[in-house]
Formats: sequence, structure tokens, C-alpha cells
Amino acid sequence: MTAVLPRRSRVPLSQAFRAARDLIDPAVFDFWATRVNPLWTWERPMARLRERRQASADAVTLVLQTNRHFTGLRPGQHVNLGVELDGARLSRSYSPSAVDGDRIEITVREVDGGRVSRHLCRDARVGEVFDLGAAFGGMTLPPAVQGRWLFLAAGSGITPLMAMLRQLDAAGMPVELDLVYWARTRAEVCFSDELQALAAKHAGFNLHLALTREDDGRGAFAQRIGETDLATLVPHLEHRQVYACGPHGFVEVARQALQGRVARFDAEAFSPPQALPGETGTAQVRLSRSGRTLTVPRNVPLLQALEAQGVRPASGCRMGLCNTCACTRSSGITRNTQTNARSAEPDATVRICISAAATDLTLDL
Amino acid sequence: MAHKNRPLSQDELQRFGDELDAVRARTVAQLGAPDARYIRRAVSAVRWTGALGRIALFVGAFVPMLLWPACIAGTLLLALSKILENMTVGHNVIHGQYDWMGDPQLHSRTYEWDIVATSENWRKTHNFRHHTYTNVRGLDDDIGYGLLRIFPEQKWKPFNLLQPPIAVVFCLLFEWGVAIQDLRLGRWFAGKMTFKQLRAQFSPVGRKMGRQVLKDYVIFPALAGPFFLPVLLGNLVANVLRSIWTYVVIFCGHFTADAETFPKDVVRNESRGHWYLRQLRGSSNISGGAAIDVLTGDLSHQIEHHFFPDIPANRYADMAVDVREICKRYGQHYNTGSLFRQFGQVAWRIVRHSFPSRPRRQAALTRKPAPSLELGTGEAVQQAG
Repeated sequence: MTAVLPRRSRVPLSQAFRAARDLIDPAVFDFWATRVNPLWTWERPMARLRERRQASADAVTLVLQTNRHFTGLRPGQHVNLGVELDGARLSRSYSPSAVDGDRIEITVREVDGGRVSRHLCRDARVGEVFDLGAAFGGMTLPPAVQGRWLFLAAGSGITPLMAMLRQLDAAGMPVELDLVYWARTRAEVCFSDELQALAAKHAGFNLHLALTREDDGRGAFAQRIGETDLATLVPHLEHRQVYACGPHGFVEVARQALQGRVARFDAEAFSPPQALPGETGTAQVRLSRSGRTLTVPRNVPLLQALEAQGVRPASGCRMGLCNTCACTRSSGITRNTQTNARSAEPDATVRICISAAATDLTLDL
Repeated sequence: MAHKNRPLSQDELQRFGDELDAVRARTVAQLGAPDARYIRRAVSAVRWTGALGRIALFVGAFVPMLLWPACIAGTLLLALSKILENMTVGHNVIHGQYDWMGDPQLHSRTYEWDIVATSENWRKTHNFRHHTYTNVRGLDDDIGYGLLRIFPEQKWKPFNLLQPPIAVVFCLLFEWGVAIQDLRLGRWFAGKMTFKQLRAQFSPVGRKMGRQVLKDYVIFPALAGPFFLPVLLGNLVANVLRSIWTYVVIFCGHFTADAETFPKDVVRNESRGHWYLRQLRGSSNISGGAAIDVLTGDLSHQIEHHFFPDIPANRYADMAVDVREICKRYGQHYNTGSLFRQFGQVAWRIVRHSFPSRPRRQAALTRKPAPSLELGTGEAVQQAG
């Protein structure tokens, strides 16, 4: 499968269609149309699982067919997948490793205690339907890609880099590229055969597998990123444009080791936010609609804390009942001030009159 | 007459609230697939009854032999669809009961229901004012909807003599009454609002009204071409039936004989326990079981709904078992009765209080805190007293 460009832009809506659209209730349309085909929605981007295959010992690759409302994505970008579990839709970001017309491939590694990854790795059956968000993320290849590149991947951080690698392969590998890919064991390496084949096919592409818990054939375990001297491994390190993707700690170590020493450094990290213990101190709240960022105390309900700084969100009963102050928390963890329960689910609705910031947050206010 | 409720001490009030909070926490912990299935099945029922109702109206319009049976069946199905949409789906979804599902089409902030009132105004008049200040005079506009005198504490005016027939008209046009409730036309009549302000507030309501009228009284009848009349009348009757039913259910919720109203000062520094107690004393249930529960969108459990307005309504019947037991232990009357009994009491209130009447003495919600003594034994005295 080859990497493919973003999809064609849509024809502008005709006047008549727009008038008809105002009269149609999308929920009613979806109810009847999805009975015929689960992807026939009025405006919601959706995807259906078409095929699944094992990618490594603990990861699966899912081939998803998208509907026409999904506007495509560039290799290296991410997309939110909404998966329904026990009645609730949980949203997780994945970076498709391949994009081909209306099909995208994601590779999901089972995370300890991760409900969504467990479901996708073990229980999701062909035919299951998911919600899709719009593509996001800026770690993509420039239109006229050239020069020397270095990709650093750890674990499932390989997926966006794989998408770009396939894009480069399709373009005949116009660059000199090294990929260093850390995994614990050989069984956990995703796309193993394909990577080997690409390395054999293109002289400009060098693959370095770094197995930290298994003998990699040279009689030793590979070192972790902080302990590796990348300059001896990768020629012309100082001229490299570097993309790194992996867990938060991995990306930070890579950044410290390379930023300023290479031609360009870009990175993306994936790690669930960690709740700070206790209720003291402050947290940063980003209000995505008004574009403001404020520092609020962690022991005060958000509504009160925002009002103290002159922000006036809609509110009503101030006791968690009327739902007037409900808004979407797109990232971070909040603490319910009545029950002390913490909530970390991305894109959950929170009532800010009874929620305090447990970590830095983003709210759609 | 002996009062049905025992005034609670501060300590009892605290425990009363804690026990109800515990019922809430137990239920929240169980929410999951069955609740999602319930609301989706309700949506499904709305769509199917709606489609079948509209098809039956067309059949009646086009096949002369079937005019009456098909039109009656179609009208009833369409009314049922609208009732389920408003009460089982719309009202509960707009409360945010199913927000945890993360389904954008069942979300409190975006759901728009099939009625002339906008969801936006409803969130304000109902979710906030009515639920926070339930039966508090001057704060809860639902007490008589600014039109009817239901309680003796409301000021009597000669206009009230006309209220029995007015109540009937209001019942038939209930969805329109709810639609303009937030405009507070009274303020405009009294000169407290300019016409420009009124027009600005009316504009979203007017758009919604236009949309509903266009759908039910223009587009669907027009689809029947020359036979538009039966379809138009079917839609009209279905909308009126829905108005009557919602009016009956809503009035049974807070205007029965034992329902109480409260002065404004009760909400000052109100504790959670006190808030629960006020909700209980101002609300009444309708008994009758599963059929009534479904047709009222579980507003037959008005008490549980007012205690837990954001918990999925399909849980109320189970929660009621615990709630009832708690109320009994704390000596609080759990106001429930058949639809006929409860609505009979409402009708009597409307007739009785159209004439001048004087308030009965209401049992206090709490025991008066004893004047605190020098030695700080206020708490002990209160419990002993």
C-alpha cells in the first residue's frame, strides 16, 4: 500500500442543497441511512473496520474504510478514533501508518490497562464502526523533500514515521534517511518485514533496530536513547533533519541530546497525562475558543477560578445540577469537587462548577 | 390536621443528604451499556412510530375507504412519537443525562427537540431556574407559568376567576406557552423591556416556530398534494395531544395537594440536605409502573428526577426503592398516587384558587436551631429539643 495525497477538495454546495440541508435533521437522516449502510451519515466522519492483521506480538494493524465526510490526512498526521465501550464513546489519537484513498491503516499496540487499545487489539471485529475526527498534527514531510533525514521511533511511535517512510518510498526515496527504531524485543517490532525490504530496496535508507531486552544478533542488548551515541551510528548527524516520535520520556531525552546539534528537530510524544497528587498548587487552563491561557488554583472549582480572573462562562445552579456550565475538556484531568473522582477521558463533558483542575487542561471556552 | 412531614434537625438533614448522595454514587458507578441501549431504543421508537404515523396519514389521505381508521391510527402514532421524543429523549438528553456516552447526537448542548420551544431557552427556564429553585415563589417561573394561581401563597387578582377556562386553553397550546416562557412578555407589558429587546429575544424562538410550522403544517401536508387536509389535521391533532399529555404530566409533578412552595429566603446558604428536602416537598410522583414510566419519560418519578436530574432517567425506578425507604426513615411524606388522583388534585387547585384563598400553615422543613447558649451547647440542645 502506498502513501497517497490528501483527498480531492469537495465541490462547493449548491444553493438548493444548502436549502435542503437546513430542513433535514442530521440525526433523523443518520438513523435511517445507517440502517442501509453504517457509513452513510449526513455530516459525521465515520470509519468501518475492513480488515485486521497482527502487526507484532502485541500490536494489530486495522484497515479502516472512511466515509466521504473524512477529508483525508497527510502521512505523519494523527486522527481521533471514537470507540464505543460499555455505552460510552472513548476517543483516542492514532497516527495512520498508511493512507490510500478512502482507506487508512492504523497500528494499535495494546497498552497495559488501556481499555480502548485492548478492545481494538482483541475484540474489535470486522464491520465495527468508529467515529473519526479531523486530521491534525504538523509533523509531515515538506512538499519538495530533500537532504539528509533521521527518524527516531520508540514503540508505537513508529506509525507516523512509517507513513512518511512509505510516502518517501513511493517517491523513490529522494533523500538520505536513517531510521533508528527502539523496541524491547524483536516480537514487538512492527512492520519488521516491510522495513527490511525497504532497507534492501533503497540504498539511501538505513534501518537500525535497537532491541533493549533481546540480543539483536551482535551479542548485546541495545542501549536506550540517552546512552546511545547517535553520531557514531548515523553519519552526518549535524546535517540531519530529525523527526522523533515515542513516549514522552523518550522524546524529551532525544530533544536534549539533539536539539541545536542537528539541522532541524521536530518531535511528537504520546503519553497519557499523569494526575498530580494532592489538591494544592496551580495548573494552566487553556481556553481554546477565546485563545486565553490562565493559571488557576487546583483546589477551587474551575468556574469560580475563571470568574476570579474575569472570565464569565455560562453558568447556572453552581452545584452540578443544571448542566448550564458544561463544556468539553479536550485534554487534561479534572477532579470532581463533590466526589473527588478524577476524570481523564479526552473530549469528555465536564461541569466546571463542580470540577477543579488536577493537571493542566484545555477547555472549549 | 397532623402534618405529614417531620421537621428535621440539622444533623438529620446532613445524614438525609448523605444517604441520597450515596444512592446517587451507587447508580453513577453502574452506568454503562444498558443505559446506552435504553436511550437508543427510545430514539428508535421515536423514529419508527413517527414514520409509521406519517405513512398511515398518507394512506388515509389517498385511500378513501381507509380514511378514518388510517388517519386515527396515524395521528395516535405521530402523537406517541412526539411524546416519546419530547419526554423520553429530549427532556432527559437536554438535562445531560446521557452526556457521558459521548454521542454527539445525544448531547445536552447540541440536542434540538421536535417542539416549538428552543432547547436553548429550555435549558435556562427548566434546567437552571426550575430545577435549582423548584417551587420557590418568585424564582421558579413554572409555578403557574405566570398565568395560573395554583397556590394560595400567590396573590389573587380578579383575573384569576377566569382561570379554569384559561387553564384548558393553556393546556391545548402548552408547547407554545413553553416556547414563549423565557420571553417574559409580562415584563414587556409592564414597560420593563423595550420592543427591540423583545424582538431580539424572540428571533431564535420565531425561527424555531417557523421551522416546526413549516414541517408539520406545510411540507408534510404538501406531499399529499390535493389530499393535504387529512395530513394537516392529523399533524395538528398529534401536536395538541402531545401538548395535553405533557401538560398533565408536568402539572402532576409539582401542583398536587401536598406539594409545597417556599419563600425566596430558603435558598440563601442552602445546604445540600436542605436542597434535597425542598425538592422532595415540592415534587410528586405518578404511580402506575412501566407503561406510565415510558410514556412520561420517567417523569412519573418526579421526586427522583428532582433529586438526580442528571442521572439517566431509566434508573429512576430502581433508585425509587431506596429513596422511598430513606424518606420513610426520616419521617418524610413520599408524595405519589395514580394519574387520576394526582391530576384530580391539580384540577381542584386550579378551580379552588381561582377564588380568593388563604395559605394553610406549612410544616417547617427543619427544626428551629435553638438559640445558641454561652457554653456552645447549641448542637446538643437542638438534638434534645
